[in-house]
Order: sequence, then structure tokens, then C-alpha cells
Amino acid sequence: MNDVLVIGAGLSGLVAAWQAVENGRSVRVVAKGWGITHWHAGCIDVLGYYPLDNPEPVVALETAVSRLATEHPQHPYALIRLDNLQTAIEAFKALCATANYPLHGSLTRNWLLPSALGTFRPTCLAPATMIAGDLTDNTPMLIVGFSRWLDFAPALVADNLTHQGIQATHVTLDLPSLRQRKIVTALTIANLMETPAFRAELVNALKPYLSKAGRIGFPAVLGYTQATAVHQTLQKELGRPVFEIPTLPPSIPGMRLHHILLHTIRQKGGMVLEGLEATAATTQNGRITGLYTSAATRHRLHHAHHFILATGGILGGGITTNYTGEITETIFNLPLSTPVNRQSWFRRDFLDPQGHPIYQTGVRVNQQLQPLNENGQPIYENLQAIGTILANWEPIRERSLEGVALATGFIAGRGKTVTSHKTQTTSTSN
Amino acid sequence: MRTYQTEVLVIGGGATGTGVAYDLAQRGFKTILVEKRDLTHGTTGRYHGLLHSGGRYVVKDPKAATECIEENRILRRIMPHCLEDTGGFFVTTPWDDPDFGDRFMEACQATGVPCEEISVAQMLREEPLLNPKISRCFRVPDAAADSFLATQCVAEAARQYGAEVLIYHEVIRVIREGDRVIGVVCHDLVKDEEVSILADMVVNASGAWAGKIAHMVGLEVSVMPGKGVMVAANHRVVNTVVNRCKMPSDGDIIVPVHTVAVIGTTDQRVADPEHFAIERWEIDLMLEEGDKLVPGFRQMRMLRAWAGVRPLYQETKVADTRDVTRAYTLLDHETRDGVMGFITITGGKWTTFRQMAQVTADRVCEKLGVERPCRTHEEPLPALFESDRHTANGYHYLGARLTDIESHKSYGDLVCECELATRAVVEQAIRDGNAHTLDDIRRDVRLGMGPCQGGFCTYRVTGLLHLWRQTPVTESNVALRDFLQERWKGLKPVLWGAQLKQERLDEFIYLSVLNADHLPGEKASRLGPVMYEEEVNNE
Repeated sequence: MNDVLVIGAGLSGLVAAWQAVENGRSVRVVAKGWGITHWHAGCIDVLGYYPLDNPEPVVALETAVSRLATEHPQHPYALIRLDNLQTAIEAFKALCATANYPLHGSLTRNWLLPSALGTFRPTCLAPATMIAGDLTDNTPMLIVGFSRWLDFAPALVADNLTHQGIQATHVTLDLPSLRQRKIVTALTIANLMETPAFRAELVNALKPYLSKAGRIGFPAVLGYTQATAVHQTLQKELGRPVFEIPTLPPSIPGMRLHHILLHTIRQKGGMVLEGLEATAATTQNGRITGLYTSAATRHRLHHAHHFILATGGILGGGITTNYTGEITETIFNLPLSTPVNRQSWFRRDFLDPQGHPIYQTGVRVNQQLQPLNENGQPIYENLQAIGTILANWEPIRERSLEGVALATGFIAGRGKTVTSHKTQTTSTSN
Repeated sequence: MRTYQTEVLVIGGGATGTGVAYDLAQRGFKTILVEKRDLTHGTTGRYHGLLHSGGRYVVKDPKAATECIEENRILRRIMPHCLEDTGGFFVTTPWDDPDFGDRFMEACQATGVPCEEISVAQMLREEPLLNPKISRCFRVPDAAADSFLATQCVAEAARQYGAEVLIYHEVIRVIREGDRVIGVVCHDLVKDEEVSILADMVVNASGAWAGKIAHMVGLEVSVMPGKGVMVAANHRVVNTVVNRCKMPSDGDIIVPVHTVAVIGTTDQRVADPEHFAIERWEIDLMLEEGDKLVPGFRQMRMLRAWAGVRPLYQETKVADTRDVTRAYTLLDHETRDGVMGFITITGGKWTTFRQMAQVTADRVCEKLGVERPCRTHEEPLPALFESDRHTANGYHYLGARLTDIESHKSYGDLVCECELATRAVVEQAIRDGNAHTLDDIRRDVRLGMGPCQGGFCTYRVTGLLHLWRQTPVTESNVALRDFLQERWKGLKPVLWGAQLKQERLDEFIYLSVLNADHLPGEKASRLGPVMYEEEVNNE
């Protein structure tokens, strides 16, 4: 029997599993598929916009997170302490540095980095491959795209940056190695980038455009597992700083983080099983005793001492909805805080800065991340919920998804809070 | 002010107006068509896509039924590449009057609509998802029509005969000189300037908006906008058009169109063709009625809902819009109101647009004192896209785009994976179609109409639009934001389950990854979508 069973292998689930193995706990992760890592920008966004109606990005991050925690006592950041977030960030940076894929940044201030639309993306931690795109620096840029691949539009990036005061030009390269392929994806290019021949082809093709460029921006496809080496080599060969810009999914920089976490968990004895969808649980005396999963071939029952629910919210699939307006947590049928009826799920405009009320739906938890019933009491002593399944926040509008996933995954995986709290819970319930 | 002089001006870029412009141009008239948005933006682009056999009207409106079957045969001849020869069923479900089938058969014979009863077993062999409790099934020559493509083809044919098609030109005034209409003043929404167009004859073919245009002349034309709500399911649950065998009512038809199946429709009288809500009961009713034809329909993934307004003309007022005739009306304002140089064509349905255009053009000839015969029923319409040349017996078929991609080995050139829209067709739509918005491109090439509703292609096509148009970047930015909002408009009424999950992914991409909510420039443009009214929350 494992110490910990993590349900879900998105960012929060993998962080929980990593912390669990780091702290000597035996871990099994069961997941229907991978999560946000294959979609996101490959950065750790902690808080980009606050309050939501303020169009200016958060700069002083620590102050903004503290203010948010005070003003929104139900927000996940209000439930976890700021020092936990700080510790989680430092530990994650250390993990990535050890894996030779360093992340830069801190809670002191947000980076402002270019998006694939040429907007300014606020983020807390960015890989070394991205930080030369820093938009507080106005060194002229050359933005490079590839003609066979439409998931990155260099003209849009450059023209929007120029419009906002960062001098940028663009070029779309028609490289023979890509031209001869019928299908070019982000991964095709990322893998090719790890070969010296392709890099030479790229550098040669770029030479005529380099004169005015103080730095060069590429779509985030500069290698997959060898990204740091590819990035450094290109900087050397091009003689100027090089940076990556996140593209339409699938996200190569996100997959790098996924790869690092997965590799670490497995290396330290954790087991990650993909393709197993959790369907139901067995319970006894206020504890979860087992979890059923289904796969193509058979059902299976997994036992563990602790269970960590990291199945995600509406996007991840941990919460489902139907046409009658029912909203359900899929495994434990946990109570959810939800807007009252289907008509009040949405606002008029897609891009409404406040976001749509339906997405605030989630599991309410206490400071130990235990799901609560309507009376505010933990439902199961040995269950914690982490990541986007949590209630009362708008991770996408705030740009806080990775920050909350990292911090809550870290706390749950480490397990110390739970252990120290166990006696507390017992004493209060007596 | 920019001024045009023409012989005939046609107002309205739907099926009817475009048909009128084509017919007139083909007969040799110098013709200009004005449309306030893009072609098909009104009712034509918002219907379920049925080419009527006439079966729907045989009992209730025999005149309309006969018109339908006549036109059905003609359209199959002149624009088969815009039609999919699905055939149609009329089925008696346990909720329908079992005796209606006999009346239906008789009425089909009386009106000339071919009809054959087939066994329920045969029906289930052809359409296994249909309700096995269906008791009778009649086969009729219904078909699925691509009203976007058809209108584009008609407009292209009109252009080839010299007509000028001005989109995003909204009529704001009609110029009247005594008892004669001599032209109109338009607002060019793209250039934001006024344009005057002088004409010997003005044809009001603005469908549900005909009353508004007539009002500008000072005339009373009573067109009731009858709102119909439709919902597209993510699957082609049937490959045959399936109708309930009963008197026309809400939710009585499922039409397979391209990759989806559309259920329609409701019929609610609304005061204004522009401003109305999609109400929850309408969506719920569509799901409930869909479930009677295809058990389990309710649980299926819905992609989108939309509403169009039927132009129902009646001189006398009638309470229930279903009782208004579906046959069209031509109003000669000289004989009716003593105003010369102005006629109105309204009512009807997509299936009869060509015939409506013909009688209108006949009247224009008469008014202008010339005799030139109609030829639109004889001359085939041009194919616009390469993939339109891949056909099944001349008809469009679902695999056409894939066949095109396979024959060109252009697997890697997809801009929209859901609808298999390639870079080549998107670029063609941008260049030749003179697209102003991403929604214009969508209507031309079905971009963003599949399961992800623009999640991936919106970014890609914005990149291409920016590259080809060479306009200031803020115009590309607002084009992207307008399209996100336009897709949202139709998603909102059916967002739950898998589609809600999908929409959250689209939010994640456009906000978290791309930060589109902080793009420089306008938040929305005047070319952006007109949103449905918010439903009053009664719960």
C-alpha cells in the first residue's frame, strides 16, 4: 500500500507527487491523461492581474498576493501562507536548475515577456530560454517564424511590440528541412533544433537579417530535452541574446517541465500511471480507503493512506456539468460552491475582465486543503484537494494558475501540515 | 461623397438579393448590390441548411410545397456542388398523430412532391440512431444546402456578369424625388463614410428588414420577423434529413450539414429583426424534441446555437407566425402606394430564392420597358474552391475536403483542423473574398465552425490576415477579438459538459498563453458581432 495516491497528473498533481517522493513517502499517481503542462506557457504565473479590472499587470508580486489574500479570504492564496508559496517556488527553481533547465524570477517582481500576439505577459518564473525577451529592456528585437508552421505569427508579434514601444522586426524563414516535410509541428521543430545540421541551416538563413537586431525572439521550440544547450549554442552562434516566446499548444516549454517532474518522480521510486481514469472511491469512517480506476482492459482498486485530488476543474475534467445545469465533482461527489443556475454561469463578453461565474465553481477546502462539507468540516480526514479544482478563484483571469497549482501541490505532497494537523482535527471533533 | 450611378440597385445580400442581382446582371442590367454586413449575414446564413422537397408544406401550404419541389429540381441542376444529396425522411414518432401519414401521402401526390413509404426496418438500416419506436417513414427528395457557399457562388456569377457587390454598406437613407425613389445613401462601415448610389430602380430584397427599408421611403410594409432557434450537435447523428411527420411545429427537423447535425427550430414573433434573445426554453425544447427522433440526443455534445429571423409578410395581422404563408410576396409600390422606382420582394424561403429573383427581375424588366428572358434556371453556377470540384454525382459530399487534401498531400497546411480548412483556401478567401473580418472568412471556408469553435484557427488566421492585408496591427487585433466574441455569442446558450471544457481551454489559450485580453487597440469594432439580447433571469 502506498503512502500517497495522487489523482491527476497536471502541474499540481505532479508537484505533489514530486514533493511526496522527496519527503520519503511512497507515491502512486493515476491519471486519465496529462494536464495543463502541455498547454500552458511553460512559465509559473503567480499573479498577473489584480484587481481584475485593472488592465495594468502586477509588478510588485509579493505585495499584490498579500493584498489578494486579505481581500479574498476564500481564495486559495488566502488559505496557504505566503511563505509556503515562497518555499514552493524556491524548491521548484532548485529542481529545474538541477535538471539543467534553470528558471529565473522571484516573488519580488513579475517579468513582462512577449506573448505570441506581441502582448506583454506578466509572469513570476520563466525559463532561462525566455528571459532575454524582458520587455522592460528596449533593445531592438528580431522575431523569427517558420513558413510551414502557423502556430506562431512573427509579424503579429513584431508589429504589436513596435506599437507598444519595443522596436521589433520580423522574418519568416522558409527552411529546406521544413519545406520537405508534409507536417510540421512544434515538436518536429524542437527535435530538429537538437541537431547541429538544422541549427546551422537556421543560423545561415538568419544571417542577412541580423544587423539591426539586438536580440532574437523565436517561438518556444528551441529543443525539447536539450533546450538549455540549444539556447546557449544559438546565442553563441548568432552573437546576441536569444529568447523563446510561448506558442499555441502543444507547449514545448510546458512539456519540458512535465518531463522534469515525471523523470524526478520515477527516479525516486514514484509510480505514474497514465491512461487510468479514476471513477469512484471506497470510504470507511470518514476516510478514503480505496480508489477505483478504469482503463481499456479492466477496473482496478488502489489503496493508500492518503489521497490527493488533483483532477482539475472544468478544464481538467475534475468537475463536469450537464445541460440541466448540474455541476458534479466526478470521483467523490464532493460538495461544490457553484453559481445558482445556468443563466448566471456567464457574462456577456468572452473577454470580460471579471471572468465567468461558472469557473469559480470548485471544492472548498480548509488551510490543510481538506475538502469541506456545507458546515465547514473536513469530509474525509485523509483527502486533500489541490490545483484548479479548488473553489473561489479565477486562475485564468488572474494568471495565477501555476502559482496555486505549485503551492498547493507542494503543501499536499510534503504532507507535514497534514500530519501535524491530524491531532488537531481529532481534538476538535472530540 | 462617393457616388455611384446604376440601372438597378438591390438592397440585401442574402439569398434573395444576391439572386436578384445575378438575374438582373445576367439579363444585361447594370446592377449594384448593397449589404449592410457580409453576404448571408442576415437570415440566409442563419438557417438550418435545408433544401426543401416541399414535404414540410404539402398539408398546410400546398402552394409553397409546389414552389419548393419545382425549385428543388432546378437548384439540383444549377448548383449541385452547393448541395448534399442526403434525401429526407418524414417519420411518425409515438408523439405524432398516426393518421397524419395518410394525409401526408395524399397531399404529396396532390402537390407533386415525390414520396415513397419505406419500412421502419429499412429506415433503421439507413439511419440506425433513429428512434426504433417510429411507426412510419416516408422518403422525399430533401437535401442539405450550404447557403454560405451557394450565395457566394451566385454573387460570383453576378460579378462575372458585371454586377458590383458592395458589402458592409448599410442603407441609412432612401433618396426620394416626389413620387419616385431615385437612390439610397449608404454608410460604408469599413471606411466609415457615406456613399450615395443613384438608380433607375431600387429593389428592396432585405428580407426580414424589408419593413425597415420601406419605412425609409415612408411606406408601410408589414414583415413579421419570426425568430427560429437552431442548435448544432457535434456529430452527424443522421446522414438523411429527418422531419417529424406532422403539422409544422417547433423542433421538427434534423438536417445533416457538413460535419454537424442541426436541429430546428422554434418560431417566435419578435419586434425587431436585429435584437432578440435565445431563450433557455428554446434550447431545452430543441434537445427534448431531438431526443424523440434520436434517443440520447439530449446527452450529446452541442456545439453552438443560433437564431435567424424568417421574413413573413402578411397584409393582415395574424397572431401565430406559423400560420403565415411561406410563399413569397412581390410588392409593386407604384400600384400599391403610388411610389415609382421601388419594389419589395420578401417572404419565401431559401429553397425558392431563385424563383423569387426571377419574378422580381421580370417586374424590373416590365418597369424599365424591356423584355429580356430569365436564364438563371438554365445556367450552372461556378465552383469557387478547388474542393468543390470533388463531388459525388455532381453533389457535394462530406469527404470532399479530405479528398482534396489527400490529392494535394496538404496535410500540414490546415488552418482549421475541425473543418479541414487549408491555408490555400483561407488565403484565397482573404485575397479574393476581400474579407474584412475573420467571420467573413468563416462564412467563405467554414473556419472555426467545428468542435473547438475557433480555439486554434483564430490565432492562425489572424496571423494570415495580418500578413495579407498589411493593415495597422490594431485592426488585426480587433479582428481577432471580434471573432472570439462572435464564436462566444453562439456558444453561450449551449455551454455545458464537454463543450464547456473546450471553451475553458479556448479561454486558457487566448488569455493565459496569448494575453489577448490586453491587446492594444479597440476592444470591439463596428464590424463585430451583434450579440443576442440577455435573457431575463426568472429563476
